[in-house]
Amino acid sequence: MQVCYVPEPDIAMQSLKVSATLSSLALISDFISNATTSVGLDEHAAWQVQLAVDEAATNIIQHGYDADNPGQIELTWDVDGVNLVVTLRDFGRRFNPFDVPPPDLVSPLEERQPGGLGLYLMSRLMDDVAFSFDDVNGNLLTMTKRLRLLAGAVRVFALSGRIDAVTTAAALEPIYAAVEDGNRYVLINMAEVSFLSSSGLRALLLVRKHLLARDGELRLCSLQPQVYEVFVLTGFTQVFSLHVSQDDALAAFGQGAREP
Amino acid sequence: MEIQHKRLHRVDLLAIRGRLDAANAPDLKQLLEELFDQGRYRIVLDLEHLEYVASPGLRVLIEARKRARDRKLSDLEGGDVRIANLPPRIKEVFDLTGFTSLFEIFPDPVEAVGSY
Repeated sequence: MQVCYVPEPDIAMQSLKVSATLSSLALISDFISNATTSVGLDEHAAWQVQLAVDEAATNIIQHGYDADNPGQIELTWDVDGVNLVVTLRDFGRRFNPFDVPPPDLVSPLEERQPGGLGLYLMSRLMDDVAFSFDDVNGNLLTMTKRLRLLAGAVRVFALSGRIDAVTTAAALEPIYAAVEDGNRYVLINMAEVSFLSSSGLRALLLVRKHLLARDGELRLCSLQPQVYEVFVLTGFTQVFSLHVSQDDALAAFGQGAREP
Repeated sequence: MEIQHKRLHRVDLLAIRGRLDAANAPDLKQLLEELFDQGRYRIVLDLEHLEYVASPGLRVLIEARKRARDRKLSDLEGGDVRIANLPPRIKEVFDLTGFTSLFEIFPDPVEAVGSY
């Protein structure tokens, strides 16, 4: 798994308002450093966000406003699920990304045009880049960077034996406790489970429900064939995220895919 | 950004440190243009301590190399902007933007200067 981290669920949105001048780029850089540190992005991803925001702000400063009458740029960052979301708002000229020529990445030196590289870099460095405009709210740029999870952020539980009406409560007790403690990413390794009754299944559904309510994820892995059969017969293969191995399951956490 | 300028016999060696973004790209552009105006067209940019480059900095590099190579001197005297040392982050930007193939890149300034 990639080195990263689980964001604190209760980070509050941060904002910054600066004048749209080149001297503000350093302030913007500090603001974004604060964001990437707070959400625990690794150094490489933090640099990617830095560069994307720097390019976006530069575009606004150089093309959005007239140099002799600079307006303002309003920045925010926030955590949305497993994403860092950065927005830049300005009230300058309307920006339409389709007006920007596609970048020239291949022409020989003599013919190479360096335009459009900023927008191109933003789209390459972030997971999602979206522009919107309206007369009242100006240009709003929303950029998203997915946070990847540290393997250690996922609590892994191994169940064993028969999970039935008699054993379910005791078997799932530590899992409930972990969820109550604020763990949002739970993996249950079922390799040693030989039997799963309908009450066991219901208990797993309840764990899943609790985790989803906390914006978390439940994944199950390494099911024996007769246990997998229970999921197939009940149609719950569509409900639970089932993985063939623990490594596969760990790698799937924090990818942004949400169960319905 | 800080630029250390060493004037060698045939080549000007510029070591660029720190951040090359929209706020300070004009400083590099101005220094390069001053050198060109003095007839100094053989440049080596040592990027070992360049921590950060954004597209306005790339624009300065590409325009400088175009201008240096446009200089019609005898073959031996031809101008160029060559690069020594490309730290991983800077190389990543070069790779993303198709700049890697636009420049002659050398592993160190001695080789870059010697290439003229």
